[in-house]
Amino acid sequence: MSLTITLTALDAARLLDATSAGIVLVGILIAGTRSIGRAVWLVAAQAILLSAAIAGVGLATHSSHLVIGSLVTLASRGIAVPLAIRYILRQSPVRVERNPYLGPRASLVAAIAIVFVSAMAIGNATLVGSVEAPRALPAAVAEVLTGLLIAMTRRKGLSIVVGLLVFENGLALVAFSLTYGMPFVVELGATFDLLMVVVVVGVYARRMLTVFGSLSTDKLRNLRG
Amino acid sequence: MNDPVVAILVLAPAVGGLAAWRMRGQTVELIAFAAYVAACSAGVGLILAAFQTGHVTAFGGIVSIDALGAYVLALTLIVAGLALWASPRYIRHELASDGLRPHDEGHYYALFLWFMATLITVPIVDNLGLLWVAIEATTVVSALLVGINRSPDAIEAAWKYLILGTIGVGFALLATLFAYASSVQVLGESSDALNWTRLMSIAPTLNPSLLRLSFVFALAGYGTKIGLVPFHTWLPDAHSQAPSPVSALLSGVSLVAALYALIRFHLVAVAGIGPGFSSTLLVAFGLLSMAVALPFMIRQEDVKRLLAYSSIEHMGLLAVGVGFGGPLALLGVALHMGLHAVTKATLFLSAGELVQQYGSRRLSAIRGTITAAPVAGVALGGGIVLLGGLPPSGIFVTEFAIVVGGVTQGFFPAAAATALLLALCFVALAVHGSRIVWGHPGPVLAASNFDIGLALRLAAPLLAVAVLGLWTPGPLISALESIKAILGATGA
Repeated sequence: MSLTITLTALDAARLLDATSAGIVLVGILIAGTRSIGRAVWLVAAQAILLSAAIAGVGLATHSSHLVIGSLVTLASRGIAVPLAIRYILRQSPVRVERNPYLGPRASLVAAIAIVFVSAMAIGNATLVGSVEAPRALPAAVAEVLTGLLIAMTRRKGLSIVVGLLVFENGLALVAFSLTYGMPFVVELGATFDLLMVVVVVGVYARRMLTVFGSLSTDKLRNLRG
Repeated sequence: MNDPVVAILVLAPAVGGLAAWRMRGQTVELIAFAAYVAACSAGVGLILAAFQTGHVTAFGGIVSIDALGAYVLALTLIVAGLALWASPRYIRHELASDGLRPHDEGHYYALFLWFMATLITVPIVDNLGLLWVAIEATTVVSALLVGINRSPDAIEAAWKYLILGTIGVGFALLATLFAYASSVQVLGESSDALNWTRLMSIAPTLNPSLLRLSFVFALAGYGTKIGLVPFHTWLPDAHSQAPSPVSALLSGVSLVAALYALIRFHLVAVAGIGPGFSSTLLVAFGLLSMAVALPFMIRQEDVKRLLAYSSIEHMGLLAVGVGFGGPLALLGVALHMGLHAVTKATLFLSAGELVQQYGSRRLSAIRGTITAAPVAGVALGGGIVLLGGLPPSGIFVTEFAIVVGGVTQGFFPAAAATALLLALCFVALAVHGSRIVWGHPGPVLAASNFDIGLALRLAAPLLAVAVLGLWTPGPLISALESIKAILGATGA
């Protein structure tokens, strides 16, 4: 007994379109939450959606490198990175973003505005040659910008890292929606770099906890001029 | 045929780092030295071959070294050699004064070697995606080095560097993606679609709007790593807080590595859509960087921050020079890249020496070094004046060439602005430099003990920079000519 999955290229494009919409929705939720722990799970959910889209396209186009790529994405961005951030978070005394420069409600509104602006700015652009998923690229650009918004308007070190991870998810979606990803060896290298960034974040989070007693970047304003 | 040599070049420091991690004392110094010598001998072979034959490839085209790549590789090896040579003295002092903990010694050399391995990878890969991976890896490894002493300021600097560097380089990934998208439209999903040599060969057929997007994001992304204003805010912190031999590597070669990446994108843009677009942006951001760095240099109180802001100024000048294009400015750019790397590395090494001796990094404390610490003091003070472009030293000649080159290329107002900014920077640096040497001596923590190695590694590079203005050896001239040919391959 064998289970055959038949997906046409059009199905795959629709799947990518739908998951892009999901990723954007989750991105808005991330912008609107104070709890860093919840934000980390939502970042993981984005990565899982992304890897599902990659797997779908890989199955439809019979591309083994995409299927492997989706597993790599799931294992790194979907599982390893969020678990590592959760681990660091558990050592921190404060796990909510108390006093951001832009509050959760304002961030939520800003994130929605970003989605509309991206859709209007890129919706009609004919950049995409091979992919029939018109919502993927605007969604990807919206995630890149949402990630920047979060990273720039938060005070807690790990909130900033959450912003960075949303930004990275956005970049991965840009890569996928433009060209169905990059050459495999480049994807692997980029994933390795991301994992290393998280390791170094962990190293410095521990040092900041030891030296400053918290992960608040308010303590980081000694160097001027 | 070149595969094993390239493998030694990259793997020797990588494996040496693994071996060094848990070692201490002379053992770890020996491991680092051995790894460096192995990488260096492989590198010299490849560099000579690249200059003789014009092009060395290995691993089925993944590695491709042309004259420009070979030059950046040579600078990396030279500066890494100087910094590694200075490391034992610096690290022993830090260990003795409790600036570092005993097990940090092995970690320092391991990270140093890994940083070197990532820097070496940058100029030898042909694939723009792998180039991005290598540059991102330099950030990750060097961020660990910046904060190795665990002081609050160093942690702050390292954190900013890590976050801003990662976000910035993220934009460079977008640049790479747009370049890939443009090339996939022409080539299909071919494995060499991101190879720079391939992109150059099909550049005129690439989608112009994708190329423009690609260059803009490369400018913002690699511009962050180069320290171009307004993406520079992390640079003075990281370069001043890092251990001084690491500052030498950061300011001397990691900036050049990022500039190298940006130049590759610039050349694709020039070949695809003509020189107007990317050259104008380079000149504009280069001038902005020089103009913003100047007031911070004049009013600077911290010796290492002074050197860091000067790096922003010099990277700005190089961006301006690349933007000007034309044979004269490009020849100036090629030589200036090397002179700045060597000078700035030496200055950070002498500054590190003085900071340890005076127990302070304040320029108001490090004064009158002619009596208190003549070797490092004269190297720092004199070197700073050289760096400003003291005629007729090499740096004066290259700066002159870039300005005159700009005029001949028709960038008259920009060339005039460059000349004015260079003159003001010279005055600022000359004042700082003369105070360091001749000023009223401040209190010294530790008396200087004369060390022949120290004198040699500080004096020799600065003498070379001074002399190169008057006399340039023939092989160097022909090397610079072939670099200029790549930089101006399709421009002017």
